[in-house]
Order: sequence, then structure tokens, then C-alpha cells
Amino acid sequence: MTLDPVARAAIVAALGPDDVVDDPVQTRAYECDGLTGYRVRPEIVLIPRDAEGVARAVKACHRNGVPFVARGAGTGLSGGALPVADGVVISLARLKRVLEVDPVNRRAVVEPGVTNLEITAAVAAHGLYYAPDPSSQQVCTIGGNVAENSGGAHCLKYGFTTNHVYSMEVVLPDGELVTLGGDSAEQQGPDLRGVFLGSEGTLGITTKITVRLLRTPETVRTLLADFPSVAEAGEVVSDIVAAGIVPAAVEMMDTLAIEAAEEAVHAGYTVGVPAALVVELDGPIEQCDTEFAQVKAICDAHGCTRLHIAGSPEERAAIWRGRKAAFAAVGRISPDYFVQDGVVPRTRLAEVLGRIADMGDEAGLRVANVFHAGDGNLHPLVLYSAAAGETERAEELSGAIAELCVELGGSLSGEHGIGTDKACSMPKMYGEEDLAVMKRVRDAFDPEGICNPGKVLPTPRLCGERPGKYRPHPLEESGVIERL
Amino acid sequence: MTLTALKPASLKEAREAVLDTTGRISIAGAGTAADWGGRLGPVDAVLDTTGLSGVITHNPGDMTVSVHAGTPLRALQEQLAEHGQHLSFDAARVAAGATVGGLVATADAGPSALVHGTLRDLVIGTTTLLSDGAVVRSGGHVIKNVAGFDLSKLLHGSYGTLGVLVEVVLRLHPVPKAIGTVVVECGLADAARLAGEVLASQLEPTAVEWLSSGRLLVRLDSTEEALPARLDRLTRLLGDGASVASGSSEASGQSGAGADVWAEHAALTRGDGGAAVVRIGVKPSLLPGVLEALPASTVSAGLGTGVATVSVPGRAVAEAHAAVHAAGGTSVLRCRPADLGAPAWGPPPSALAVLKAVKQRFDPDGRFGPGRFDPWEIS
Repeated sequence: MTLDPVARAAIVAALGPDDVVDDPVQTRAYECDGLTGYRVRPEIVLIPRDAEGVARAVKACHRNGVPFVARGAGTGLSGGALPVADGVVISLARLKRVLEVDPVNRRAVVEPGVTNLEITAAVAAHGLYYAPDPSSQQVCTIGGNVAENSGGAHCLKYGFTTNHVYSMEVVLPDGELVTLGGDSAEQQGPDLRGVFLGSEGTLGITTKITVRLLRTPETVRTLLADFPSVAEAGEVVSDIVAAGIVPAAVEMMDTLAIEAAEEAVHAGYTVGVPAALVVELDGPIEQCDTEFAQVKAICDAHGCTRLHIAGSPEERAAIWRGRKAAFAAVGRISPDYFVQDGVVPRTRLAEVLGRIADMGDEAGLRVANVFHAGDGNLHPLVLYSAAAGETERAEELSGAIAELCVELGGSLSGEHGIGTDKACSMPKMYGEEDLAVMKRVRDAFDPEGICNPGKVLPTPRLCGERPGKYRPHPLEESGVIERL
Repeated sequence: MTLTALKPASLKEAREAVLDTTGRISIAGAGTAADWGGRLGPVDAVLDTTGLSGVITHNPGDMTVSVHAGTPLRALQEQLAEHGQHLSFDAARVAAGATVGGLVATADAGPSALVHGTLRDLVIGTTTLLSDGAVVRSGGHVIKNVAGFDLSKLLHGSYGTLGVLVEVVLRLHPVPKAIGTVVVECGLADAARLAGEVLASQLEPTAVEWLSSGRLLVRLDSTEEALPARLDRLTRLLGDGASVASGSSEASGQSGAGADVWAEHAALTRGDGGAAVVRIGVKPSLLPGVLEALPASTVSAGLGTGVATVSVPGRAVAEAHAAVHAAGGTSVLRCRPADLGAPAWGPPPSALAVLKAVKQRFDPDGRFGPGRFDPWEIS
């Protein structure tokens, strides 16, 4: 099956040849996002220059029944921007203006191709910043953040993208340009902005975003602490929470992750320790000081073997460089690896780590762990060698870890999204009826099913599901949910 | 025609009640917002959710709680307080017994929304019953979760038109160790200027509200050790007229020093008995101008959030909608005099077609909450 020539001509004409890429060599650059295992070459790539261009592109696709996929920087880790064969990719790379900075109302209006960090750069002079900080913030775009409802290390205290967006201008799958959300938290009727945020590009394309900005905190205190075991480090996190402290961030790394990060960026982590915690507090000085003293005491009470307090912004940056480099750094200790993303209730961290270690042993593979310990969001990195034929085993282990998270009462994804990668795992987390109602939402926005099809929700074509007899959901078996 | 009263005590009973009843259904909680939004059209049955009450699971270590949606939030807060936790949410009608489900469905919020957001920001999972008997779960029991569409957002502000909230999972916060409020007696223009200074500072107020009794309230949530110094800095910033509030009567439904001024805030937000109460939201910088132009008898105004609640004569409701819309904001009628024919909502949002499509997919026969979004003709 190839794209109908009439449809092709209409879609190309919608923007004009300067904004179209359809040379098969060039379109190959768009065949995958950060999840490089899945690749599909799109038929046409459209690169509109403004919101009206996006609307024209979508209208042409809609009129001709051609599926389209929006794409930002392509840093997504779940195949959310994977093209559809014989379909169109609409790149937002040219929509990258900061349209307005409003320091009085603490907000900015930006186009979707602006990177996460560029927002903060544009408003920093006013003492403001944009809070969500995914590790890829230097390159990932705000449009992609909206699609994925991206988090970051500081979302324990400050929340996710959804908590920092007032409104979006959106091109609906039929090409209509509408605004979702409003100028204040007071909104009219059901929160369409909220359901659109995190819908992974399946409900439309964002063309303008009004983000909420925060005043930069008066002070920031960061410490790096080593512990004799992951369990002890976990206890520290529990005690911090029990003390009524909401840290800006609490990150944990295990021995393999520390080794990799240290080898890559020499950030001052202790190689060989079983676990390290990064704890950061921010806020008014008096408040921060009293709580930071409490955190130090809690670390000491749990056998902390080394406590390093960042004494300058440079030292703080070094601690974060180590943490944020961990993903990529694993490439130094293993030829290949999968990045997993799952969530468990925070109190089950020690249990899930024990089970992951056992599963790794059983599979004969190493697993490095980096995670947002404050909110139970794990990023196990499954190390393998494709050359040694370990790919399939590693993929299975990685998938099993995500599903283990669900079994423990958590989620398949905390921030990377479902995309293509986990669509077929969704029945592990949700029942048939849950997914059927989610499909109703999708159908309400996109009755023709042309907007980023094949993502988020499992389809028989994608997953080879066959209707079978009823099986109880794992959460039903564990008594977490009730089903009728 | 007699009205069928449905009062299920479980998800199963709720589902049976909806399937066994024909016709249109009004979903009701404690009845603290029965008049809010559009006037309810003719219904055949009322589904009372207050039988769906109580905590399902509270995991103090995870700072999450799941509750039956008919649970009064006030009762939940009392239970959570034993663990030093609470839902960071302070809408005025909580003290009147409002249920968790009702508060979500009406998108209500209080002063601390400045920092903690509204319930859309605090709900992490829901179980919802649709009019065709479908039961849908969305989200879960973890704070961080991006798996699947977040249906709880659609229920937020749905005014009982999309489904019956049956269970709600909430993220919790520690109860602040110490709370302090600084009060400045002043008019709106001065309050707006002072609020601007506070918000530009790094003092991190939890709430910044002006009352039509002529008071600016600025609240700090703090540790005990840090509170005196923080209040001192705030008082100095606010100038000569500023003082730390001290009154705290039990009756206010709030706790800690300064509770009385917040009780006054809640009373003004509930509004003026015989008048129409309109909730408005605009960019914060535009709020004073919009308020000055309205013939309001009572006002509580979030100068950092841009959200205000005003009492106006019934004849001024349409004018209020128009003024707010002209400022780019949104407005909804809350309480109304019995004979008031004014519209509950301002002009519809640009995505009206999507709202209609969602309603059509969730409640194709238009069984739930007829009239709530009139004059938009969604239900």
C-alpha cells in the first residue's frame, strides 16, 4: 500500500514545496524517536512555519484520510512519535518563538518547538523559571512535554507539565484551531486541557502553550549521601516524608549506576557504595535551613557513610550532572541497554528493587537503577550485549519489570509514556472496559482515528489480541480494585 | 411524576441503580452546590452519592488515600489529621459538608490553590460509572503516572453530566507545622499593589486574598521554627498597616492563629443570601479592574490566582459574564435567586464541539445532569 497520488498532491499543496520533505533519503531521518528499536519511514514530512500552517497540513490529511504524527525534538523514549507507514509526519521544529513573557502574571506564551530550558532562559531575568525539568530539558521541546505530560527530578514538590500549563492552542484532528484551558485555574466545564495533556499526540497538535512560571526560590540546599544499602537509603526517604518535609527532589542511584555516571562525568560520587541519595530542599531561607538540618540528622541516623553538601552552585551542578548523566553513562559499562520507566508506591521501593535484582540474576543480565525515590518512579537500565545475542532476553526482562510495577500497585509509566512501546502492556494495568472508555475519549477528538494512530491504546492489529475468556486483572487479585 | 430516590451503598448498587432506572438522573452529593451551574432540567431520579462514604485505603507512607466519592471532605481531613496529613484544599463549602466527588465535579477550589492547585491537580485516580453501566478506572494509586488518558480531568468540572464519580484517589501533603496570616486593612487597589510585591518576593505565600470587608490576607505555611522570622519579613514588606492575625475560634472550621479571618473569607465566598453568586477567573492583573466595574455586595478575590467569587444583584449576572469574557476570562453562576432567568455561563469555549462530542460518547442518551451547561446545549 502506498499513499494515493491525489492525496499526496493535496497534502504537499497545503504547505507548498519549501515546507515539504519527501525524498526517501531525507525522510529516513524521521523514522524513529528516542526509542530507536522501532522504525517506520514516513511518506511525507511537513514542516509548517506557523499554527495556520499546521492547521492547513492537518486539514489536508483529514480530508484525504491520511494518518499523521506530530514530532518535536524526537527525544521521546516510548515511540510516541513513531511515524505511520504511508503517513505524514508534521514537524514542529519551526514553531520555536517565545511569543510573550508576562512577569506580572507569571506566565509565558510559547510555541511548541521551544525547548524546555529555553523557557527558563527567556524568563530568568525576571526571577522566574519554568518548573518541570525532564532530564532531556536542553533539547526536548515544550510541545513534546505537553504531549507526554513530562515530569522531571523536581516534580515531587512542583508537579508535572499538567500542573504548569494554563492553556494551549490546539489543532484538532479535523484541522480546527481551538483553545483548551483559560487564563486562570478557573475553567469552563470538563477539563479538556487536562485530558489533552499527556495524551501522547493522539488528540491533536499543540501550536501555542501558555505556561505557568514560578518565582525562583530564595535558597537551594543540595546534599549527596552514601549508604550501606539501598534499603537504608529507602528508609531515609521514608523518614524525610514522615517528618512532614516535602523535598524539591530525592533521587537514588545504585552501585552500577554510580559507577557508570562517575566514569562518564567525574561528578564526585563514591564508586563502590551500594546506594547514593541526592536530596534537595528549596524555599525561604529560614524554612530551608531548619528542614535541611533535619534531613542531615535523618541521614546520619541511617548509617550514612559520606555526606557531601554542595557548597556552591558549581558543586550543586556537579551533583546533578552525575545524576542526569546516568542514563547515557551506562553506555560506558555495557555495549547496549534498555531504559525502563515504571512507578511503584514509594513504600514498596525496597521490595521492587529486590525483585528486580532476582529477575536480573535469573535472566543472567545486570540491571542498573536510577530513580526518583520521592515518588517511586524507577528507571531500571537493563544492560545487555546485542552482539552476544542477549537482545530478546533483555527486552523481556525490561518489559517484565514494568509489569511488576503494576502488580505492586503502581504504573507502567511515570514519565516516558506508553507510546508504541507499552501499548500492548496496557491490559496489564487497565481492564477492557477502562480501555474502551479511554477509546471513547479518543473517538470524541478524532473519530477517524488519523491522529497518531497505534499509540497508547492497544489494538488487535498491534498486539495480536484475541478475545478470550475473562481473566481477573492482577489488581483485582491483589484486592486493590473491585470489578463488577 | 414521582422522583425516584436512589441511594447506593456500593459501586455494584450504583451500577444497578443506573441500569434499572430509565430516564434522566441528577447526581447529588451533600447538596452544598445543588444550584451551581445551569438550572437542572426535568429528571426522573436523583442518585444520592452520600451512601458511598468512607476511606478505602490510606497509605500514610505513600501520602495517598482512596475514598468513596460521597465521603465528606471535612470528615476525611479529620481522619488524615491523625497522621499529620491532609488534602491541600480549602474551598469554603468543605465546612458545610461537601463531598469529595461533589467538589471534583464542580471544580471548586479555595485560596491555597495558589500553591497546591485545584482538585484536578490533587486527584490521581478515579473510578467512574457511566450512564450505560460502564465502569471506568483511570490513573491509580501513585502520584506519578502517565499511563493512559487521564479521565479524572474530564470529570473535574463536569457538573454531574458525564458520569458518577464512585471512588477517588487523592495525593496528600503534610499538614503545615505552623500557619500564620498577615492582615492589611485596605481597599482593592492598595491590596493589588501589595499583592504584587508579595508575589514578586521570595516569601512563598500559600494564599493572597482580598476581602470586600477591606482586608488583604496573606498566609504562610511553615515550620514552627521558621514562622516568626517569615512573618516578620512579610509584615515589614507589607508596611505600616500590616499585622499578624491572631483570632482563632473553633467555629471557623479552620485551625491555628488567624483562623477567624479565613472564616470571614469563607463566608464572603459563600456569598450574600439573596444575591446571585458568580465565580470568575481572569489573569490576575486584570482582576481588580473587572471587580471594580461590578456592582458586587461581597467579594473574595485571589490576587495571585485571578479567581474571585462575587455576590451581585440578579439583574447584573449577564453583565458580569460579559465583563469577564471581555477580559478574556471565564465565569459561572453559583447560587441564584429562585426567579433568576440569567444564563449560568458566559459565551461557550472555542472547543464546544469537543465538549459535545465527549458528552455524546460518555452519555449518548443525555441521562446525566440535563441543563447544567445551558445555554451551551451540551446536555
